[in-house]
Order: sequence, then structure tokens, then C-alpha cells
Amino acid sequence: MISDKRRPGRRRRLGTIAATVAITGAVSLTAAACAGNGGTGASGGGNTLKLTTWVNPPAVAVLKQINAEFEKANPGTSVTLNTAANVNGPYQTLLQQSVNSGSADIVTANTPLLPLPKKLNNTNATPIQLWETNGQFADLSGQSFTKDYTSSALSAQTYQGKVYGLTSGEYQEGVFYNKAIFSKYHLSVPTTYSQFLSVCKTLKSHGVQPLYTALGQVGSPYTQFLYYEAMTDLWYPKAPGGNLANAIMNDQVKWTDPAFVKGMSEEKQIAQYLEPNYTGINWQTMAGGPFAAGKAAMELDGSWDLPSIQKANPKLQAGYFPVPFSSSASANQAYAQNDLTFYVLKNAKNKSLAMKWLQFFSTPKIYAQYVNATGISSAQKSGTFTGYASQVMGKWFGKGVNQTTLYPALSPSNGYYDQQANWADLQLEVMQGKMSPQQAAATYQKDWKG
Amino acid sequence: MWGGLWLAVAVYTLFGIVPMIGNIVISFTDYTELQGAAVHNVGFTNYAQMFSTQAPGLEQGLVATAVFVVAVTLGQNILALLFAHKLAGSSRLAAVGRLLVFLPIALGVTIVGLLWSLIFNPASGPMASFFGLFGIHSAFFGADNWAMTLVILVQIWMNTGFSTLVFIGGLRSIDPALYEAAAVDGVGGWQRLRRITYPLLAPSITVNVMLALVGSFTMYNLIYVLTAGKYGTQTLGMLSFNVAFGSFEADLGYGAAVSVLLFVLTLVVALPMLLALRRRERKLLT
Repeated sequence: MISDKRRPGRRRRLGTIAATVAITGAVSLTAAACAGNGGTGASGGGNTLKLTTWVNPPAVAVLKQINAEFEKANPGTSVTLNTAANVNGPYQTLLQQSVNSGSADIVTANTPLLPLPKKLNNTNATPIQLWETNGQFADLSGQSFTKDYTSSALSAQTYQGKVYGLTSGEYQEGVFYNKAIFSKYHLSVPTTYSQFLSVCKTLKSHGVQPLYTALGQVGSPYTQFLYYEAMTDLWYPKAPGGNLANAIMNDQVKWTDPAFVKGMSEEKQIAQYLEPNYTGINWQTMAGGPFAAGKAAMELDGSWDLPSIQKANPKLQAGYFPVPFSSSASANQAYAQNDLTFYVLKNAKNKSLAMKWLQFFSTPKIYAQYVNATGISSAQKSGTFTGYASQVMGKWFGKGVNQTTLYPALSPSNGYYDQQANWADLQLEVMQGKMSPQQAAATYQKDWKG
Repeated sequence: MWGGLWLAVAVYTLFGIVPMIGNIVISFTDYTELQGAAVHNVGFTNYAQMFSTQAPGLEQGLVATAVFVVAVTLGQNILALLFAHKLAGSSRLAAVGRLLVFLPIALGVTIVGLLWSLIFNPASGPMASFFGLFGIHSAFFGADNWAMTLVILVQIWMNTGFSTLVFIGGLRSIDPALYEAAAVDGVGGWQRLRRITYPLLAPSITVNVMLALVGSFTMYNLIYVLTAGKYGTQTLGMLSFNVAFGSFEADLGYGAAVSVLLFVLTLVVALPMLLALRRRERKLLT
């Protein structure tokens, strides 16, 4: 028998228990509550303009160029660019820190102001909606550069008559296709759903991977390349008042609408032509992966990736068409969403310099440089754009049904499938055959709080 | 001496107790951390939501947390015990073995996540080729039936080195004279393990089990890197992070409520476990 002369006494045991309670409490609570680090938190001042944006390599690269030109045109000033990844949270954290601490003069975002929740509050509005409606951003209405932008771009960021953000343009989503592969197999650009399936079938029969997309590390949100288009082509044309987002939010239509159910059924059919195991393949391969290498005939993607695709394979001859969900060619439209939008903080340390930067950004030469480099379509009233994206997108460049009239405001904390973060999970379940479109539609409706 | 103690208490209060209390307070509000957004006392709304409209998230979170905690705590300790048994010696081979086992923890979560994502890349990773030989094709970290198992294995792989070192420390603290005496008395290998090694290793087992248990309850960063909580891997820690800091959200009130639930669960499981392990230690050592 082994004895232990250091056997703890009662007081020691109580002390151990108390210490364990405190330690486990502190460890679990702080670990669960703390987030990753994002911004620098450095304060601005002098003639240094601080700009915060997310990592989209072509946009970051051209913004750096524009900043350098701004510095050259304005001796004595400097611009710093602070960035973080936009997938799964880091940029959200950096953005919040930048606004809360006032460590930036200009911040950027791509979450829309509109449509606003019917009864806006802390738990059903996105950060941008809360900031804009709480007056955290400077009013741009009187600035001369706003005259260069279209009314739709300005109205997308207008709240109670004041313009709080400068929308730099729209991105379209849909299908990018390899012209050489289409030519090799004598395929035409499909304009209807049946034609699209036929193209996929033909490519598959020749051993060519028809469609590529990648959901690894990002998950279901990237099913948007299908569901937005399905809603655009099948449901949007029937929406009362030409605004599906408002019709859903006002309960004029239901999630169980046959058009929406049909869209999901078609998504499932189309998903059969995606590469095997697409849910595990890293989303970052979409910009310079198999499609750019000519190993996949088509890619479901957004036009923001076009500059990176071009960089990966400058010789690639690519074209674009919206995913056709309707049997009527005229109903098949592109889906578009306002993207990188600039906001000047109301209490920015360098507000006048920030306005000067936006003025500089909006000049025809600089703005064209930005559009050509990023693949975004113009939000200005005029201009000539010759970038790779405008060539690939062709007649669709700058065209499409905008997200603000298509997709309702989803909440951060309403019912589970009424949340932006979880809504797409059901789309993926349908695509993978784990749930029927009817079941998914019924679940959305059951969970819908508007 | 007392000055040092008070300093430690002050630091612990500032960085441990105050955030803990702050977190509990936030869980009763609609706090968003957003500049200009008013904060309201919402009572138990966040908790009520957690158990009603948020049911899928909570249910999945509870199941994922239970699976993760049990598998990691058991797997990590069993594996570490086996490694410690083989690597406790003073040979050069054992030293190299200890280094290799400990290496993953030195790599850090991001590198470990990237490494395993590449190894299990469904398109071109070595494991895809290996399983392909048997006709098995999967999205791995993007597949509901694989993701949680793989995340558990990576967590075990990453942390087994630390547990191994604790066990080695425990093994080395056992007086060799005890084994020599047992050998002289003709005690066999199994009996030596049962009567000498196992009881004297009990304190190390307590430490390792508690660290693995509490660590796996609260862990979210590795899951974030590998799957972002998708494909059945959204534990309560990950759920709390996603709700409070995810791409679309800034609902700190609800995120805080989830973390309070996680805290209570951790306490409810860890405290009785600690008491049971201590009791077992005393029993074995007397």
C-alpha cells in the first residue's frame, strides 16, 4: 500500500474547488466571448488619411495605386490602408473597431442599407444599417462629386434624404465560360434552363468538368451564385410592384411560392454538374483554379474574381451569361449587387481630407482606373471602361436585377433560417438532396418573422 | 510576499473576473458594440431565443460540443499515455520522439489548420489520393459525415504533445526503487503498472483530463480555421463566436448568452469531474 503524506485537508479541497470554479469560469467565458484581433487601433491625425477595407486583391492593389497618386497630387499628405479578410468575420471585427474607435477616416462595406427591416432595432439590423440610421457617417449630399453618380447608386445609400455612402459600383454574378471549350464542342451560349442543362450534359459526356464552384472554408453562403439567380429569373418577374424584397417583407408573397420551390428544384439539377466534393474545395481556388487553368468549362462566380482569373491565365478567352433558370430567355436576367461602398466617419479626424480623397477618386481618369482594375461595373453617369471584366461581361456589364429589390432584409437574430448566416444552409441541403425544395420552402416560411 | 499575491489577485480580477461579469451583464442586453446603437435591457430574451427560435443552432451546438469534448478528452489522454510510456526514457530516440510529438503545438492553430486543409484537400490532397485507392471520395472538411471526425483528430494531434509531456513528468517522478523492489518481490509487468505506475500517475491524469476537458469545451479557433463551424462542427464556442463576430452579425448580447450557457455547462461537467478525479487520487494513493 502506498501512503500519501501530503493528503489534502478539507480547507485545501475547498480552496481547490473555489479555484477551479473561478478558473474554469474565467477560461470558458473569456475564451467564448473574445474575438480575433483586427484593426491597429492607431489614431489618425495630421495629414494622414486612414482607409479601411477588406481583402479583395485587385481592389486593394488599385486602391494602393490611387492612394499613391493622391499623395503625389497632394504633397504633404499620406494615405494608409488597413485590411482584413472578408470571409467568416475578420473584416467585420476590423470595421467595428475602426468605427467605434474612430481609427479610420473612411471605411468600406458591401452589405446594403436597403431594404431596411420594418421595425429596425439592434437585433434585426446589420451593423451598416445601424450606423447609417444612427448618424455615424458623414452626410455626403452636398459634395460635388455625388453629381457624377447615378441616382440609383446614391439612393441605395440614402436615409431620410441624406446620402451616407458612396457606392463604387455593382458586381454581377452568374456563369463565366471558356470560349475555347465551347467552340471545341460546338456549344452556344445557353439562354434557357433546358439549353443550360443540355450544355452541361454535352460537356460531361466528353469528359469535361462542366461547372466549377468552391464552398470549402466558406460553406453555404456561396450557394448564392445559384439561389440569387433562381429568384431573379423565376420569382422576381412575378413580384408585386416589381420589388420582390418588399413583397416578401410585407408578406405579399410567401416563401412557399411555387416559383421559389421550382428555383430550388432546378438548383439541385444544376448542382449535379458541379465538380465532385465542391463543398470541401477551398473557395480561394475560384479565382485562379481549374477554370482559369482551362480544366473546367464554366464557373459559378461573381465578376469581382475576373481580374484574378485574368491574372492567373492572361490567355483565357472567357465569356459571361446569367444562370438561366427560366424557360423564357427574356426572363433570364443577371443578378447584381452594390459592392464596395465608401463611408466617411462623422467624427473623422481628417474629414476634409476624406472628402478630398473621394473627390479625387471620382474624377473620370481615376474612377476608370478603379473600374477597369476591379471588374466592378460603373456607378457613374458616364465614362469609358475597357477593362477585362467589361470585355468578358459584354452586353451584361452593368446590367442586372439589384439585390436591394430582390432579397429581403434578413436578421442577425430572428428565427434560425431567418438569419443571413443560416439562410443558405437549406439551399445547400436541397442541392445535396438532403431536403426537398418543398420542405425547405416550408421551413423558411415557418421561421420567417420579417 | 503579500504584495505579489495582491498583484496576482488584481491582475486576475481585471482580466478574469471583470470580463466574466461583464459578459453575464451583456447577455441580458441587445448590446452590439456598434457606435451609436443604444443598449437596452432585454431581460431573458436572449436566453429565451436560444431555447426557442434558435433551436437548430443550439441543438446542433450541444450535440457537436458533447461529441467533441468526449472524443478529444478520451483520445488525447489515451494517446498521450501511450506516447509517454514509450518516450519517457533518456535515449536519443526518445528525445527525438518527444520533440516530434510536441512539435504540432508549437506550430500554432492557423498553420495547423492550413496544413490539414491541404492534406485533406478533396481535389489534390494526399489523403484524397489515399482514400481514392479504396474508392472513397469525400469533401472531407466540407462533408457532414467527415468534418467533425477530422476536426477531432486534428485537435488531438495538435495537443497530444502537451499531455504527453505532463505524463512523462509524472512517470519520471516515480521512484525507480519502487519498481526495483517490486521486481525483487517477483511482481509482474501488469501488476507493476496497476499497483505502482497507475496510482502514482493519478495526479497527472487529473491535470491532463481537466485541461483537455475545459480546453475542448471552450475551443473554437481550430474549428474556425478548418470549417468555420460548418458541416456539423458548430460547437457552442463556435456558435458564440459566429453570432457575435461572424460575417453578417454583431449580436454580442446573444453571443454572450451562448457563452454563459457554455460556462455553466463547463462548470457542471468539469467540477464533478475534478472532484471525482481527486477522490480517485486519494483512494489510489492510500
